Amino acid sequence: MATEYKLRMGDGKRIFMTKEQIVADLKEGMADAADLGSIPDLSEDELDKLVDIITMPSRMVGVEQGKEVPVTHDIGTIRIDGDQGNSGVGIPSSRLVGAMMHERAFGADTMELGHIDYSYKPAKPVIAQEMQTMEICQQNMIVPMLYGAMPNMGLYYTPDGPFENPGDLMKAFKIEEARQSMEHSAEHLTRDIVWIMQRMMASGSDGVNFDTVGAAGDGDMYASLHAIEALRKQFPDIYIEAGMAGELMLGMHGELEYDGTTLAGLWPHEQAPLVAKAGANVFGPVCNTNTSKSAAWNLGRAVTFIKAAVKASPIPCHVNMGMGVGGIPMLETPTIDAVSRASKAMVEIAGVDGI
Amino acid sequence: MGMPISHIMTSGMSGIRAAGDLVARMELAKGMRIGEAKDYVAKKLDVTTDDLSDEYVMRELREELGIGVITSVAGAPKGIAAKMNIEKLLDLKINSCEKFRGQLK
Amino acid sequence: MSNEEMFKELADAVVTCKKDVVTAAVEKARSEGIPAPEIIEKGLAAGMNEVGVLFERGKLFLPHVMMAAGAMEEGVKLLEADMPKDAVTKKLGVIVNGTVEGDVHDIGKAIVSTMLQSAGFEVHDIGRDVPLQNFIDKIKETNADMVGLSALMTTTLQGQKDVIEMLKENGMRDNVKVMVGGAPATQAWAEKIGADCYAENASEAVVKAKELLL
Repeated sequence: MATEYKLRMGDGKRIFMTKEQIVADLKEGMADAADLGSIPDLSEDELDKLVDIITMPSRMVGVEQGKEVPVTHDIGTIRIDGDQGNSGVGIPSSRLVGAMMHERAFGADTMELGHIDYSYKPAKPVIAQEMQTMEICQQNMIVPMLYGAMPNMGLYYTPDGPFENPGDLMKAFKIEEARQSMEHSAEHLTRDIVWIMQRMMASGSDGVNFDTVGAAGDGDMYASLHAIEALRKQFPDIYIEAGMAGELMLGMHGELEYDGTTLAGLWPHEQAPLVAKAGANVFGPVCNTNTSKSAAWNLGRAVTFIKAAVKASPIPCHVNMGMGVGGIPMLETPTIDAVSRASKAMVEIAGVDGI
Repeated sequence: MGMPISHIMTSGMSGIRAAGDLVARMELAKGMRIGEAKDYVAKKLDVTTDDLSDEYVMRELREELGIGVITSVAGAPKGIAAKMNIEKLLDLKINSCEKFRGQLK
Repeated sequence: MSNEEMFKELADAVVTCKKDVVTAAVEKARSEGIPAPEIIEKGLAAGMNEVGVLFERGKLFLPHVMMAAGAMEEGVKLLEADMPKDAVTKKLGVIVNGTVEGDVHDIGKAIVSTMLQSAGFEVHDIGRDVPLQNFIDKIKETNADMVGLSALMTTTLQGQKDVIEMLKENGMRDNVKVMVGGAPATQAWAEKIGADCYAENASEAVVKAKELLL
């Protein structure tokens, strides 16, 4: 009987697979990414290495010594005091305490300040609180500390915002009206992000993290890129990190362009140069986890996508490796064996500059 | 919380336990890729790139350089003071330090 | 031109997303004596399936999906005279779709609604942050065959289970299929709460809806 190895499904459930089955799934996942993105397959050596990483008997694996990379932190301190909706663990503490715990106790390489609602728009009414907290954190922290939130352009559509919901307009075949609504929302989103970051920079922030760019489609990315461009112009030394929401830029509008490139339909390796062009310092590519496939399939696919993005990017790539992305299972408590293997694979095979 | 800690243990540079914050800062400040950032920091610290993730090497060196350590060593630079030393060491300006200097009379 | 070639031309016409191209192809197919149901099923509907595939692959975008659906509707209108009235107006099924109460995420659910609508289902999108009773009321009002329940947060997933329980309490569960989706939802979750299916994305939602309702 062939030896079976312990793996995970994309939803985290334990499964057992033979080496042949693992190789087959790796190749299938890789082929899916290569086909969708029109990007190269992994080499035989890289596939062999992925098999080695997946089949290592130890629960936790690690990168080879000397190959370590910085681990940046989206959502920041909310992980400590946040609620289940933010994947927080609900420990009553200030955000300063959360930031210092990450720096001094957990060994985080960077940190981020974010507010509990974690979108830019709702930060406006509480901006004084955010500025005050940033100042206090900066006085006490040593690692780079960004202000982070989600662009989340959906907040500008009815019933949450002033512009008619493009989803409703689209379903009524009002395509031009839907597009105009997205364009107006994008203008407001850009303006809000710049306004907030002007104040956070005045409070000593090292910079900004755009978390989940494109969550509301190409309009969301359009607004984010213009905000990046404006912030780079206004603050030449600002640290700008831009992480994506998903692997494919959804075409809600379909015709928005940045620097002559249509945003809709871009894959990670096509997104990276645009984000760099806008003025970001670090790009966060994403590959979504399919919960109905094995860890081997997901990792083969994710490493193929991210390797191509790392190669195409002129700036450092910090791959998104949270719940349900980057080969990590879609589970509130992602299993350490799966996280550790995905993490090692991204560093050693995809060649990421950070996580 | 388990997930970021798993990443740090698997792949991270350990922040101020070693020199992860310095390498991350060069990536963020100058858009340096990982190899370039490690080379830059290693040269400034006069250590090897492997040493940047080595807690043994970095613990003493960080205290000597006054760039912050994880334990609360009395009298050693912390927060803004440590970052001011990092500015000199890495030859860059840090926004919070600039703002701090701007507040001094 | 063979029938197969004509079906391909019809499908390609839908993929152009242009009404005039679709209607010209339909007129041509009629003039060649191809029965209306075949023009729709083997030509236009096949084209819409192709549009769905291209959307998933990032080659076509949401406005194109709607334009293609609009173009197909125009084509079907031309065939009305050749078909029994109920055959023209009959939808694949009636689906109530919404994001459960407490969850304000709208966009993924809206894409699913659009894809289902463009595939030929009658879709009633009742929005996001929808009080659970509203799902029951809308299903009754529209005599829906299926309900789509979206949740994007681990904290709101429970709403999907609650709606299934409410369907049972109202004696409606046997007549209404339940589809669940959203980032934290999984096949295992769908099985655990007794949903009929889980869809990973909008294209899969269309495939699963067809499997369950046709």
